[in-house]
Amino acid sequence: MGFYQLFQDTVCGGLAAAGFGVLFNVGYRGLPWCAASGALALALRTVALGEGWSLEAASFVAALAVGVAVQLLPSPIGISRNALHVVGCIQMIPGAFAAKAILGLFAITAQHSTATNETLIAAMDNTLRVALTMGALGTGVAIPTLLLRVRELKWAGAD
Amino acid sequence: MPKPAMIRGRESLEAIAILVLEFGRLLMEAGSSARHVDEITTQVAVGLGAERVDLRVDYASLAITIGAGPDAVTRMRRVGPLGVNESLHRALNTASARIAQGGFTVEEARAELTDLLRKSPGHSDWVVAVAVGVACAAFGRLLGIDWAAVGPIFVAATLGQTVRRQLALHKVNAFISATVVAFLGSGLCGFGARWAGSHTLAMDMIAPVLLLVPGVPAFNAQYDILEGYPTLGSARAVWVVVMVIFMTAGVWLAQGLLGEGR
Repeated sequence: MGFYQLFQDTVCGGLAAAGFGVLFNVGYRGLPWCAASGALALALRTVALGEGWSLEAASFVAALAVGVAVQLLPSPIGISRNALHVVGCIQMIPGAFAAKAILGLFAITAQHSTATNETLIAAMDNTLRVALTMGALGTGVAIPTLLLRVRELKWAGAD
Repeated sequence: MPKPAMIRGRESLEAIAILVLEFGRLLMEAGSSARHVDEITTQVAVGLGAERVDLRVDYASLAITIGAGPDAVTRMRRVGPLGVNESLHRALNTASARIAQGGFTVEEARAELTDLLRKSPGHSDWVVAVAVGVACAAFGRLLGIDWAAVGPIFVAATLGQTVRRQLALHKVNAFISATVVAFLGSGLCGFGARWAGSHTLAMDMIAPVLLLVPGVPAFNAQYDILEGYPTLGSARAVWVVVMVIFMTAGVWLAQGLLGEGR
């Protein structure tokens, strides 16, 4: 993995997160945080992929790390922590893999299909990748929130 | 510290239930998870003087039972299309925190809600369209498209978001809208990228439709299941899958038009 690849993924991750922040009606004050969250997520994922990790493992670690970072931010920052976490991770959702998986299934079921076993394997590969990556992202996003909630409940009980 | 408002009979409980359901509906439509809706509605109800609150969160409706002393009422409320609106979500959180501190009557709490809805900020449509264009172009680079396709993706996604907004304003079904927008965005991008000499046409035609991938509902589905709301979580997950299928159908039609991917 070269520096250019890391730089490009970081910038594109930040831009994509900020763009989605606007779509989700995040105020202008919260948009830089969206960009920072997305940039951090993509930088971590790119580094992990460069180290030879699978897409699922890299996505999980990036989502988890961003979640922890988001929970450590000072308050208020112009956006809720949960929303910032989701916006930071949203560009890691494998939407393109999902589209490719369904297009592959369309090709297999065509009336005069010329699809080969390779098409079927590619479609299944993409489907599994979508399912596992979504599971990894969802778990990575949920763990910091759930842990923080337990901690909040414990503190509330101690009062 | 101010005390919660006094409850005076079933009539007051009904007024509280109706107001609390309005908070819940707006939170659902702004993209909240079920647990968050439950917590905020309970906070508002207790702040207004309720002693017992039980909420059922469904995909298209909310039902609540509110009690104080020997009295209790149960009411239900329909929920509209689920979207994402972070500014409204934050405003509702702030208002509910104020109401939870006590001292509000139901009328004052309703005025607070009306006021926040009136003041709730939003980006103009063209700002959103351009932002979506930039996001999709950035997505494209993350997916490995070449530089020649960046401009066509930006234009196609910006136009796609504009059309999507107009279809939503005309209350066109969300799934039909997804297919139309995907076909338009993917087709336009395909023609543009081919003209620009891009060598990554198959992926170029997918990048401008990524604005349609329902990311927040996908995360909420998992949140809901993990936090003890499997019915709502499953409904959200099915909605996400069907949305992606309709989106892909638009891409498939556009690929057929351009003779790509066959």
